[in-house]
Amino acid sequence: MAMMNDSRPHYPDYSTAGAVQHSFNPYADNGGSVVAIAGDDFAVIGADTRLSTGFAIYTRNQKKLFKLTDKTILGCAGCWCDTLTLTRILNARMQMYEQEHNKTMSTTACSQMLSTMLYYKRFFPYYISNVLVGLDTEGKGCVYSYDPIGHCERSTYRAGGSAGALLQPLLDNQVGFKNMQGDAFEKVTKERAIAILKDVFISAAERDIYTGDSIVINLITKDGITEETFPLRKD
Amino acid sequence: MATERYSFSLTTFSPSGKLVQIEYALAAVAAGAPSVGIKASNGVVIATENKHKSILYDEHSVHKVEMITKHIGMVYSGMGPDYRLLVKQARKMAQQYFIVYKEPIPTIQLVQRVAAVMQEYTQSGGVRPFGVSLLICGWDNDRPYLFQCDPSGAYFAWKSTAMGKNFINGKTFLEKRYNEELELDDAVHTAILTLKESFEGQMSADNIEVGICDSNGFKRLDPSHVKDYLANIS
Amino acid sequence: MSILSYNGGAMVAMKGDQCVAIATDKRFGIQAQTISLDFKKVFDMGPHLFVGLPGLATDTQTVMEKLRFRKNLYELKENRKMSPKVFSSMVSNMLYEKRFGPFFVEPIIAGLEPKTFEPYVCNMDLIGCPNEPEDFVVGGTASAQLYGMCEALWVPKLKPDELFETISQALINAFDRDAISGWGATVYIIEKDKVTVRELKTRMD
Repeated sequence: MAMMNDSRPHYPDYSTAGAVQHSFNPYADNGGSVVAIAGDDFAVIGADTRLSTGFAIYTRNQKKLFKLTDKTILGCAGCWCDTLTLTRILNARMQMYEQEHNKTMSTTACSQMLSTMLYYKRFFPYYISNVLVGLDTEGKGCVYSYDPIGHCERSTYRAGGSAGALLQPLLDNQVGFKNMQGDAFEKVTKERAIAILKDVFISAAERDIYTGDSIVINLITKDGITEETFPLRKD
Repeated sequence: MATERYSFSLTTFSPSGKLVQIEYALAAVAAGAPSVGIKASNGVVIATENKHKSILYDEHSVHKVEMITKHIGMVYSGMGPDYRLLVKQARKMAQQYFIVYKEPIPTIQLVQRVAAVMQEYTQSGGVRPFGVSLLICGWDNDRPYLFQCDPSGAYFAWKSTAMGKNFINGKTFLEKRYNEELELDDAVHTAILTLKESFEGQMSADNIEVGICDSNGFKRLDPSHVKDYLANIS
Repeated sequence: MSILSYNGGAMVAMKGDQCVAIATDKRFGIQAQTISLDFKKVFDMGPHLFVGLPGLATDTQTVMEKLRFRKNLYELKENRKMSPKVFSSMVSNMLYEKRFGPFFVEPIIAGLEPKTFEPYVCNMDLIGCPNEPEDFVVGGTASAQLYGMCEALWVPKLKPDELFETISQALINAFDRDAISGWGATVYIIEKDKVTVRELKTRMD
C-alpha cells in the first residue's frame, strides 16, 4: 500500500478490478554442503547439519547423509523437500531391487539408478546437489556426483552444495595435487581425508552462511560404516 | 556569471600597471581592527581586537576568531561580512577534502584553496575583491603553521605577523620579541602585548579574542582564560 | 548475466609480514570466447601502491585512467606521495559519484603505508563501499572459489616467498574452476625496498 508510487489520484468508487498476477515457486533453497573423498579401500563423505532458508535457520542438526546400503551413502544439499521425496522413492526402489534380485544393490548400480531417477523428472527436476559415495564391486572407494537432472560423473573427490564453488578448487589442490610442482601426488589416506574434510568445512563455514553448525562424517570401509560429528561455527 | 548582469571585472589595471581596487581593499584591511599571529615551538596563537561601540553590545556572541576544522583556525582584519563568507567557504572546502580523502585537510591546502577563492574575486565579473586579510593557523605534520591571506589572493607563511590598524608598529614589536624557542603560553602573552601596544582604552577579556592551535587541535580561549593571561600583564 | 562478468577475470590481494601481494589472471574474453592472454588489470600507482580493477574491461581501463589523473593531480598539488589509505578513499569517493550509473569494476587496492610500511589491502564494490580486512581480499568472477582457497591457505605473518606461494596457489586453483578466468597469471610481491613481478605458467584451458 505505502509503496504505491503512482501520482494519479485514486478514486475507490470508480476503480475496476485489474489483472492480478499470482505466483507459486515450487522450489526452496535450504542450503547445505557435501564433501566426499575416496581412497583405494575407503570412501569418506561429510555434510554440514544446518538447514536454512534465506537468513533464517530451521535447524542446526539436520543430517543430510543417507545410508543406502552397507557400502553406499548418499549426501544431499539443496531443496530439502525434494531430498526427502527423492530419498523416500530411492529407498523404495532399492527394496524392490532387493526383492526382485535377492541381493543388495552395488554402489555402481545405485549410481546409475539415481541418474535415471533424476532424469525421469527432466522437466520438473529435484533441486538437489547429490553426491553418492561407496565401495565398488572391487572394494575401491568411489564418488559419484550429479547435477539436478541426472548427469553423473565418477571421480575421487567432490564438493557439492552451497559451498561447492568455494571448496572444489581447494580439493583440487589438497587432494588432487593440482598445480603442484613435479610429482607431488600421493594417495590420500583415511586419516588425511578426514582431516582435509574437516579443514575445508571450517573454511566454508567462514564465508558461506548456508554452511555451518556441525558436520557429520561417514567413513565407509570393508568393515562397515563409522560415523563421527565435528562442530563448526554456529553464527 | 549571470548574463543579465555586468560581465566584466571591476578590478582592472590602471595605466601604471596597478590594480587599484586591490590597493583599496588593502586600505580597508589596514583600517580594520588589528590582529596578530605567532608561531611557538609547540603551537600557534592568533589574536585580535574585538571592540564594541556601545556598552549595550552583547559581547561573546559574534566572534572574530573561528574554527575551520578540528586543527585549523582563522581570524581577520577588515570587513566582517566578507570574512564570514570566507569562513563558510573554508569550512566547506575542509569537509569536501575530508569526504574525498578521509584525512584532515593539510593547513597549506586549505590556505591555497581559500587564496584561490580570493583571487577569483579579483578577476571575475560583477564582484569586488574581499575587504579582508586572513590569518590562518593550523597544526599538522606534528608542527604549527601560520599563514596570511590577502585580498589579491597572495598568501604568506609567517613565523609571526600583525595585520590591520598599526600593523607596522605591531610587526616591529614582534620582530623585537620573537624567538624560535617560544612556548605557546609565552606566545599568547606576546600576542596580547602586541595588541596592547596600539590598544586605545582599557584592554579586557571582553574586547579581545584569542585562539590557540596545538597537537590537541584548535580552540578559542574563553574569556575567563583570557582574563588569566591579562592578569599577568599589568 | 551481469555486466561484471562479461569479460571475466580473477584477482586477489593478501597481507604478509612487512609485505603485501596482489595477483591477477591475464585473460580478456567476451563471454565464453577468449580474445587475448595478456590483458593488464593491475596497475602501478606508486612505489608501494597497486590497484587492480576486475570487472568490465572497458571500465577497467577508463577507471584506471581517471584514478591516475586524480592521483597525479593530488601529488602535484600537495607535493607528496599518496598513501594507500588515501588512495582507497579517493577511489571510493569517485565510484560513489557514479552511484546511479556505475563503472562496472570492483577495485582491489594493495600497498604499504608510508613510513610504517604496514601492509594494507582493501576492496570495494562497484559503487565504492570499502572493506579493509586483516587478511586478504578477492574479486572478479572467481571470487567464491578464491574465498574458499584463501580461507584455507592464508595464515598470518607470511614471509615474502611464502606469501608468493600462497597467493599463487590460491589464485591458480581458484581460476582453474572458473571458465572465464585464467590463461596465465601475474603476481606482484610488494616489499619495503623492492617489488617483485612474476609471471605464472598455468593451464591454458
